[in-house]
Amino acid sequence: MTQRCRYSHVPRVVRQPTDTTIMHSLQVQGVTKQYDKVLAVNNVSFEAQPGRILGLLGPNGAGKTTTIRMITYITIPDEGRILFGNERVGPKSQEIMGYLPEERGLYKKMKVGEQLMYFAELKGMPKKEARKAIAYWLERMGALEWVSKETNELSKGMQQKIQFVATILHDPKLLILDEPFGGLDPINADLLQSVILELKNSGRTIVFASHRMEQVEQLCDDICLVSKGEIVVNGPLNEVKKRYGKNTVLIDFEGSDAFLDPLEASGAVRVNARSTRHAEIRLLNGTPSKHVLKAALEHVSDITRFELVEPPMREIFVTAVTEQQGEQAAKAVQSGGGLAGSKAQGGAA
Amino acid sequence: MNKTVIVAKNEFLKRVKTRWFVFTTLLGPIVLVAFFAVIGIVSVSAIEGGESTIVLLDETGRIAANLKDPEGDITFVESDADEQTLRQDVLDGTYTGYLVLPAGLIDGQGQARYYSTEGGGVSSFNFDLRNIIRGTVRTLRLQDQNVSAEVFDIINAGVSLETVKLSDEGEEQGSSAAYAIVGGIMGFLIYISMLVYGSVVMQGVIQEKMNRVVEVIVSSVRPFQLLMGKVLGIGAMGLVQMTFWAGLIAAGTMGSGAIISLFVDPANMDLPDTATQTEILDAVGFQVPDLGPEVFVFFVIYFLLGYLLFSTLFAGIGSAVEQQQDAQSLMLPIMMPIIISIVFLQAVIEAPNSGLSVALSLIPFTSPIPMVVRVAMIDVPIWQLGLSLLLLTGTFVGAVWVSSRIYRVGILSYGKKPSLKEIMKWMRYA
Repeated sequence: MTQRCRYSHVPRVVRQPTDTTIMHSLQVQGVTKQYDKVLAVNNVSFEAQPGRILGLLGPNGAGKTTTIRMITYITIPDEGRILFGNERVGPKSQEIMGYLPEERGLYKKMKVGEQLMYFAELKGMPKKEARKAIAYWLERMGALEWVSKETNELSKGMQQKIQFVATILHDPKLLILDEPFGGLDPINADLLQSVILELKNSGRTIVFASHRMEQVEQLCDDICLVSKGEIVVNGPLNEVKKRYGKNTVLIDFEGSDAFLDPLEASGAVRVNARSTRHAEIRLLNGTPSKHVLKAALEHVSDITRFELVEPPMREIFVTAVTEQQGEQAAKAVQSGGGLAGSKAQGGAA
Repeated sequence: MNKTVIVAKNEFLKRVKTRWFVFTTLLGPIVLVAFFAVIGIVSVSAIEGGESTIVLLDETGRIAANLKDPEGDITFVESDADEQTLRQDVLDGTYTGYLVLPAGLIDGQGQARYYSTEGGGVSSFNFDLRNIIRGTVRTLRLQDQNVSAEVFDIINAGVSLETVKLSDEGEEQGSSAAYAIVGGIMGFLIYISMLVYGSVVMQGVIQEKMNRVVEVIVSSVRPFQLLMGKVLGIGAMGLVQMTFWAGLIAAGTMGSGAIISLFVDPANMDLPDTATQTEILDAVGFQVPDLGPEVFVFFVIYFLLGYLLFSTLFAGIGSAVEQQQDAQSLMLPIMMPIIISIVFLQAVIEAPNSGLSVALSLIPFTSPIPMVVRVAMIDVPIWQLGLSLLLLTGTFVGAVWVSSRIYRVGILSYGKKPSLKEIMKWMRYA
């Protein structure tokens, strides 16, 4: 997909890297929100910087959605404050903000063009400008021919793209994307990713919420992990990883993987992932990596790779949540492949 | 542009452009008129029951020859057969019934007795039959006393009653029936429209919530603006329809004379076939109602306020639920006043100045329907109109406050259907 428009009737929206005066950072300062008896968010502070992507992570029910709703001024914090560009968020900041919620939705009976126009108008965009932007982005997303179709005639993936266009149409300075790649095929996911990175490079502030750790690792510059309404890990991704140290062994081998069982039983390591020829092993209690190598050499016929690495994002996530909430929650996270809902978290740490 | 206006404009255009809107606007009145016409025709034909044949056992020997139905629906047949045979004939369906006229009937002794499979009841057939017998017997009684033809004519001359409505502007001839009909139709229209537009608003709120569009919208506008935009946009659509229909009522009222005279047979009113429309209407005692423009103004005002009040509350309820069915139980307390005002519609029409009518037209939740009926029928004192409008407007403002607080929590709450108590709790959230 080329960035330049091939069709002359589609005007190109000039969106060069913006000057610093409109580059804003998002500051969440000591924010608390309580619903009835549930403390959804407890004294949370973090910052998202322009030209960077902040990954907002956490198990279901951790308070991510509540936090996002306060940033988007859908709800208001009980305590603390949220600033965007040194001003409290409010109706004004809503106009320079684009929000793609996890649960997508469009008006089923409205035509794509009319719908996008309505969303743009609600963001305070003049009609003429909106019309140009709609044409530009639909063209870019390969959806121009759908402009006068009703939404319910569109495929799910197409609807996702239309919703994404609605989010970025008004050229927001702050983007909040909750699982933006859900339901997209790899080609469209790549297309979306290239647009997101482009927006980042032009100085937009981006908050990216996801449960897909490999995407987080690929896209995010900073991460903020919340659990039970509190921040458990916060900082630039590479620093966070360093903090956890090189404590994970990746091993590729030929032969039986039976050597893993006594290792794990002794409590020296925890096996995070294993398959016929590969294992990801977390070293516990200062176990040296050569301990694993020795055990492996005795049992397998060949070792094709042995590497000591920083833990992957998934491992950091599990460790951090476990430390805060106890084993049970983490087990549910690991075995289910998904993430534990807050109700399943019986024993708190 | 104000965001409430953008939302309202979108809601208005989205709906006005649909076929449903054009269809209901144009065909609504036709359907309504057809509905009333069908009820009228069905009830009239049910009462008349077509033609019937009655066998006479005339013991006086004089009545049978003179008995005649002026409308020709009933045929009288004399018979010498014994009662037992006639009884069987009636049971077999050969005759509709048989009538026994005892010998002393003309002298005021005994009573005529009618036997049929249907028995008595309060049908207009029994009423007609009694009138026919009474008329014939009375004529015979007068003939027996040698009453002169002149006296006879005097007695038979019709007596009519003319009703005159008194108002501050003086007196006004005409039938209050016409005013009652106009008032009734207006009250009924407000009833229907409050329910229909109210549920359109509720449906819209539920759909937006279920589509999950609402989360995107409230990241651009305040929930209050969305709520008001929705209510006002759909209200504007309703206003267009109601204004159109109010115009039709006005036109229909002016043309009512021509319509009535179409249905009246001059022969029945002892008028020549060449009678003019005015003559016919005078004979029926019908006067084209002279409705002032204020009647239509109040019709539109009360429709608007009633709609605003109830649709705002419906929107609040819609935001709390995920399906239309779940809304039913929550709607009941709000529906009660509307139902009460339609139940008492007849009472208000019969006595528009009674304490009940005045009370109903002042109480904010019930006032729109009874007040419009009263305004159409009588001169409602200014203080009553003022107080009623003040209370209704105040209640609307209160409803906006309550509903918007429920709404902003409700639209983002999914899962279990909340109880009324939980909804009340939402109002206290910051």
